[in-house]
Amino acid sequence: MSGQGVWLRARERLRRFPELLAGCRDQAAAYGKCVAATTTGPAELRKDVCTKEFEALKECFTQAAKKTMK
Amino acid sequence: MRSASCSDGPSSPWELVPFACPLMRAAALLRGPGSLLLRASSGCWCRRFWAASGEAAAAAASPGSGARSPFDRQLKRKQKNWAALQPEPAKYDYLREEVGGRVADRVFDITRTFPLALDVGCGSGYIAQYLNKETVEKLFQVDMAENALKNTMETEIPTVSVVADEEFLPFKEDTFDLVVSSLSLHWVNDLPRAFREIHQVLKPDGVFIGAMFGGETLYELRCSLQLAELEREGGFSPHVSPFTDVTDLGHLLGRAGFNTLTVDTDEIQVNYPGMFEVMEDLQGKYIFHKQRMGESNCSWNRKPILHRETMLAAAAIYQEMYGSNDGSVPATFQIYYMIGWKFQESQARPAQRGSATVSFGDLAKINALISREKK
Repeated sequence: MSGQGVWLRARERLRRFPELLAGCRDQAAAYGKCVAATTTGPAELRKDVCTKEFEALKECFTQAAKKTMK
Repeated sequence: MRSASCSDGPSSPWELVPFACPLMRAAALLRGPGSLLLRASSGCWCRRFWAASGEAAAAAASPGSGARSPFDRQLKRKQKNWAALQPEPAKYDYLREEVGGRVADRVFDITRTFPLALDVGCGSGYIAQYLNKETVEKLFQVDMAENALKNTMETEIPTVSVVADEEFLPFKEDTFDLVVSSLSLHWVNDLPRAFREIHQVLKPDGVFIGAMFGGETLYELRCSLQLAELEREGGFSPHVSPFTDVTDLGHLLGRAGFNTLTVDTDEIQVNYPGMFEVMEDLQGKYIFHKQRMGESNCSWNRKPILHRETMLAAAAIYQEMYGSNDGSVPATFQIYYMIGWKFQESQARPAQRGSATVSFGDLAKINALISREKK
């Protein structure tokens, strides 16, 4: 890996997270509820227990990123 | 190379740790660009950092890593130096300002004048700006980052700045009447030793007033990250540095030789728009562009990468579990204030058991008792 360019871009991407996340509140809430439910209920929190919700969130997020990139 | 400068030591990524206290240092991903941002900003500074990060890595690989010294002091010093150089430090240091003010309050509560005082890990002199000449006549300010000392805040007290590590105070025994420390001891590797050093440099009947981050600090962030990492990756490791528990603090102070201990706790809750802002506020302050406080995680067993997906997941969890109706999220900072005295013959001692002359049951008749004694 070379150059500041790569890192500066990565940093810029991360800086945009909050605004992108703001556009995906519902998906984020759904995912959050799913995980929170495992902490209180009888089910244990394991890997990929909430994959469905997370994929939805990720999808929304990537869509938002694409839109704002244009 | 960048990960070398992270100096992770021999930890496996999936070590399940009983506590994980994230002082968010968002990932090598961010550290990488940070160290390169340094290059962009000032030529010779970054070259020094770059070369030094090599030696930090070397130091890291050898005795530094592991349980004995969880924090890389070299790295911390560089971070603090860098943070101190940034413009407008006051804007970002509200926490240290607030706690500095509260420590100064406790100094005023002791109705004495201290001819010689020491501020350990002073930063920009957060405590000194609130003190006055009547209370403290001369102040030594010690910090391991020389740049912090160059930009100390104004105070009416004559001060002397010394660059030194908190664990190796370069002063003779029985020198100071007062030692203060605000939010800098939580980074010390050998806390018992630091307390012993402080006890040693105090004069008999001297007092130590300190403030440290407590175990509950940033628990929301810590939990969100843990849950996200568990769900997304199947395991988690600490991203936040460990904070001392209150009972341990009492024991440590006692073992260092302090008497008449008091430890009280305070919680400061700061609201942020979201998790990323929390992380940026803490971490960013320390290494990156806009950052001031210099508190990023220097713990040895940091996981090298915090994946972006995990961060996204953690942000969603943080919002859901701790967020309020208006969308903001809280971040809790728990502060322990401790006061310990160095023994001197003239100090009051707790009375012997069984030596009471009146009972609590007689409290209702206290007026009668007082007038009886007057006669």
